[in-house]
Amino acid sequence: MWPQASAWATEAAAVFAKDWRSELRTRYALNTLALFAFTTLVVVSVSLGPLGVSESQGTAVLPVLLWLILLFAAAAGLPRSFVHEEETQTAIALRLAATPSALFCGKLAYCLTLVIALEALITPVFLAMMNLSVGAPLLLVLVLAAGGYGLAAGSTLVAAIIAQARGKGTLFSVLAFPVLLPLLLLAVELTRQAIGGDPAGVALTQLILYDATITVAALMLFPAVWNP
Amino acid sequence: MKTFLPWLLWLWMCAVLVGAFLYAPPAAGFAEGESSRILFFHVPMAWVSLLAFVAAAVWSVRYLYRGRDPRHDRAAAVAVQLGLIFGVLATVTGAIWANVEWGTWWNWDPRQTSILLSMLFYAAYLALRSAIEDPQTRGRLSAVYALLGLVVTPFLFFIVPRITFSLHPDPVVNTQGKIEMESRMQQVLYASTIGFTALFFWVHNLQCRLQALIERQSEAGGSRS
Repeated sequence: MWPQASAWATEAAAVFAKDWRSELRTRYALNTLALFAFTTLVVVSVSLGPLGVSESQGTAVLPVLLWLILLFAAAAGLPRSFVHEEETQTAIALRLAATPSALFCGKLAYCLTLVIALEALITPVFLAMMNLSVGAPLLLVLVLAAGGYGLAAGSTLVAAIIAQARGKGTLFSVLAFPVLLPLLLLAVELTRQAIGGDPAGVALTQLILYDATITVAALMLFPAVWNP
Repeated sequence: MKTFLPWLLWLWMCAVLVGAFLYAPPAAGFAEGESSRILFFHVPMAWVSLLAFVAAAVWSVRYLYRGRDPRHDRAAAVAVQLGLIFGVLATVTGAIWANVEWGTWWNWDPRQTSILLSMLFYAAYLALRSAIEDPQTRGRLSAVYALLGLVVTPFLFFIVPRITFSLHPDPVVNTQGKIEMESRMQQVLYASTIGFTALFFWVHNLQCRLQALIERQSEAGGSRS
């Protein structure tokens, strides 16, 4: 039992390390994600004008904008984790080298670190530019962690699907957004509560349930996606 | 026998039409009582749309885990197409009635929102199918996506009612499990639901056979040239 588990963990860790090593060679995903998110953030901020929005409107509207920026940035950067494997034809070697579940977890860990880094970069700048004060900072961190995890898990599975199809870039948004929509609605609701300083309602439980559901579903479905 | 069944369905649907307009009484308590007759078509359409999406998921499971039979993949795809058509019809008939009764076509009612979001999902399913050429890859990946949808969409049933506000008339079977409807209206509604369900399976069967013929013909044409 244990040698198998440790072999599995070694495989997952190896996939994770490989992805980061090749990422640090080109810094493609890092640059795309960070630059895309930052550009969109500046565009949003400038479009709102120097005065921004009033406080009452702000708590309603700004969480939506924050999560839309994160969602679109994820759509710009995350699909590459699988698309790259198919384009450079390394997918076949990867199929031979790793068990599907270990591979999925390695890729998920890679996407998760990217999303967390993105959130850590964007959220403080967003709060500063929009003059938002957060009533419940701990809740905001929780929402960003749970929401980021769901975003990474859903995107990883959809990225594996679209990597084998034509028209990958646009197809990712079309396929991923309906899947991620419940997550987006919950995350926006919770971010609103965090900014207003209200206690987290039932939405936090639902968000964690969503994360668990999508993890189990992805682990069950991924072998069918990966093995022809 | 086989040619007799569609005629029976035709007769049944004619009887439903007559029942909906002549036999059932107009609903009391609505601004336009006569407008409630749309219910006999709107509710069964919404039901068939839901049925089609669940059926598509069942066929996807059978495709993935029961030997990758192309017939199951075809059945799932056709069910999604029909589900989308019935979903659009249910949304449009609902919007027409909403305009008569509430004075607006669209007001982000929970049911309107849920059906719109699930239709987005299945439109994405069809977009995925059209983007993959190899039939086996297409069947495998679209089956996975259909199952992912079945897992994720139930969350909307918990979230959407919390963030929207409903004017919708009580569901046919409401939370107390009671049916509050005049008995003649009930009879017509059930008859119509049975008719629409049979219609769905009949059209589904026809469409699957047609698709199979088209595929066989294109294979034969491909090997000849």
